[in-house]
Amino acid sequence: MVDLATKSLLHDKLRFLITVSGVAFAVTLVFVQVGLFLGLMGNASLTIEHLDADLWVTSRNAANIDFARAFPESYVQRVRSVPGVARADNLIVWFMNVNLPTGAVEGTEVYALEDFERWNFPWNLPEGRLEDLRRGPYFILDESAKKRWGDFRVGDYREVLGRRLKIIGRSVDAKSFTTTPLTFMDYRLAQSLNPSDLRGNTTYILVKLAPGADVEAVRSEIRRRLPYNDVFTGDEWAKHSRRYWVDSTGLGLNMYLTVFLGCLVGIVVVAQTLYTSTMEHIKEFGTVKAIGGGNYDIYLILGKQATIAAVLGFLFGALQAYAIRPLIDRIDLELVIPAELAIAVFIGSIVLCLAAAMISFRKVASIDPALVFRT
Amino acid sequence: MAVLEARSIQKHFTEGRERVHVLRGIDFDVERGEIVSLEGPSGSGKTTFLSILGCILTPSSGEVSIDGVAADPARLAAIRRRSLGFVFQQFNLFPSLTALENVEYALNIKGLRGEVARNEAERVIEAVGLSDRKSFLPRDLSGGQKQRIAIARALAGASPVILADEPTANLDSVSGAQILDMFRDLAKKENRALVIVTHDPKVRSIADRVVRIHDGRLAA
Repeated sequence: MVDLATKSLLHDKLRFLITVSGVAFAVTLVFVQVGLFLGLMGNASLTIEHLDADLWVTSRNAANIDFARAFPESYVQRVRSVPGVARADNLIVWFMNVNLPTGAVEGTEVYALEDFERWNFPWNLPEGRLEDLRRGPYFILDESAKKRWGDFRVGDYREVLGRRLKIIGRSVDAKSFTTTPLTFMDYRLAQSLNPSDLRGNTTYILVKLAPGADVEAVRSEIRRRLPYNDVFTGDEWAKHSRRYWVDSTGLGLNMYLTVFLGCLVGIVVVAQTLYTSTMEHIKEFGTVKAIGGGNYDIYLILGKQATIAAVLGFLFGALQAYAIRPLIDRIDLELVIPAELAIAVFIGSIVLCLAAAMISFRKVASIDPALVFRT
Repeated sequence: MAVLEARSIQKHFTEGRERVHVLRGIDFDVERGEIVSLEGPSGSGKTTFLSILGCILTPSSGEVSIDGVAADPARLAAIRRRSLGFVFQQFNLFPSLTALENVEYALNIKGLRGEVARNEAERVIEAVGLSDRKSFLPRDLSGGQKQRIAIARALAGASPVILADEPTANLDSVSGAQILDMFRDLAKKENRALVIVTHDPKVRSIADRVVRIHDGRLAA
């Protein structure tokens, strides 16, 4: 069968380029916006997922993992005595100021545990040993701090809340939603740095359940014993932390709005170019009808053209998004494009392009084949 | 037996409150292998009549049958596919398709596919003497060559009736004469009925019969 759809589409190369570019632009926009959103959301709950606690005891109405409030550390004893709890440890998450060698003051988000090894946290440690954190005024700094703090090496010192601490290790991939560099230090050291807020206090209790323990039963008992705290499962706490940023920052609205605008731009460009093309080829379509073709034959032509534009636009758009990735990495953001997103955007591109083509379908249905006799 | 029959064809259009009678009861037959020149002044209803014969327009009253099949409104496209070939004044070739593909596509619409369609397209392209131009796009062909391709498209697929609307109007006199001679030879050789709507007096020289339309009626 002669492929009139493809040949006609490629015949007007400039129009074809505009159509594909429109789709590619929309696809890139969606990939970048949703990818950034997913990257940020991943950071928002990254530490929660890697700590692998079955239950999190938090202060009442805590907003998210980063914005913690202190409560008495002795509560951990009440949790440890709950049947079904295998292990319960205090965790401090707290913002502190760091004086840099340049004289600048930057913030850091401190994660403090008594035993980091037990929680295998931080999870990716190319330099240093977790057990050394207990041996003095030391801390481990994440690689991502280089962006804001400048270069550092293991063995360097930094002043945290006025106290000189030695960097004894370097972690990788430990990030927060706020992009504030993460540091890891001994629980007691963190308390000593900010005694007014943290002496005798913790901000979270991490709970690991005994094998076979009923999560809901344990949670219920912890709630009974700590009526002024909240208790979340790991998944719930991760969702809770992510939802805070989505709701409070307008990030979700921004993403949905941009995705909507991206789709709108794509659909308008494709609809406009296909409709103009239909109008310009109306006599050809009239000829198709005159020689015995029906509306269906012309719908197939338009549908195929829309699908070709969608597929090529998707490929170019995806390539652009992947090309942008290293640039986004450089500013310490992450563009996450999971296979599910790619498949959804691919299907969405085709569906939207076909929907755009349907605007031309109405015109085609009204073509009078008698127009072939008009000069 | 006539391959194309039209009985008591009337056609009127409504313009505002006025009803304009374009055709006022025409009876018309064409035999296989017969060439008929349909003439008349502008506005006489020639093209409207051709559109009705070509199952593109439906008459307000009257009946058309082609190759023994009555042209009822539900089957017009099917009749066009099976029994009719068209040649247009403006050629109406698909600009993105080569000469051969233009013919082959028409055959695809008629339901022929693959090698069968390709061979038939090659045959009619050869019949109109353009085998050496079959891979050219219409923009690279002269007006006469385009019309030959249009004729090849109309002949392809063995449609018994060919309808041509001013086929020489956009051609110079030499090309026009060549096209008409070729058209006559092919129609006769392949036993097709050919109706040519024209203002061109040269068409009379190839026609078996000349029919004039005047004020929506056939004149003697």
